Amino acid sequence: MKDTHILTMNSVGVECQELKKRYDECFNKWFAEKFLKGHRDDPCQPLFKVYQECVKKALKEKKLDIEQMEIQVLGTDNEKQPPS
Amino acid sequence: MRIWTSEHTFEHSWDTVVTAAWRKYPNPLNPSVVGLDVLDRSIDAEGKLKSHRLMSTSWGMPGWVAKLIGMQESAFASEHSVVDPENKIFTLNSRNLTLSNVLTVNEQLTYSQHPTDPNKTLLKQEATVTVSGLPLCNRLEKMMTDAMTNNANKGRQAMEFVIDKIKKEARELTTEAHKCMDNVLPKTNSL
Repeated sequence: MKDTHILTMNSVGVECQELKKRYDECFNKWFAEKFLKGHRDDPCQPLFKVYQECVKKALKEKKLDIEQMEIQVLGTDNEKQPPS
Repeated sequence: MRIWTSEHTFEHSWDTVVTAAWRKYPNPLNPSVVGLDVLDRSIDAEGKLKSHRLMSTSWGMPGWVAKLIGMQESAFASEHSVVDPENKIFTLNSRNLTLSNVLTVNEQLTYSQHPTDPNKTLLKQEATVTVSGLPLCNRLEKMMTDAMTNNANKGRQAMEFVIDKIKKEARELTTEAHKCMDNVLPKTNSL
């Protein structure tokens, strides 16, 4: 079958690219064919776990703490509200 | 804080639009979105699909320039979304992580099935912009919201582009299937 996924997005970790591609393909197929038709079992979970580990490692290496960044964003909103 | 809202109707079913939404990037209309990763994904007890994604965008300048001025090569944004397949509602909430100490842009998108026509989908978009927790002054507000309107239009064009791409793929598969059948049938008939 012809490969129709010619264009792909990059992962934040170059080493995670292949894992991301495989997971995304699994997810897109499952989402359209199964999830939207009422099936809840996600067979892409094992692929996702491996991909997720790779991304976490890449973020750590780049010193990007997403959780911390999200907390900071919320903190900014809460702390710096102008007086009403 | 500026609130900007926009509504749009897609002439496609909710299933088609939501499927396309996951495949929105890459597309030629948003070239600065360079990376997309799923950080977390799960189905909750009510059967809703929850996802947390990290988006990387380029600054539109060479990487070395960004580094020179002390920025990371990419800017990052965080997106949380929920797909409710029963009620046919898909909500996405995204906000920038980079420069969040200076500026916060928060955007919410809701895709829902048209109330009277199941072959149509409604998209409601809402964005707020806050500068260091203080409201933006008028001129800067207008510039930001004009940019958002422009980007929203591009976003919608991007969706149409992706929907067309998926439909084209489906047509090509059908054509291939027909070709296979045509090749097989005459041979069996001649037996």
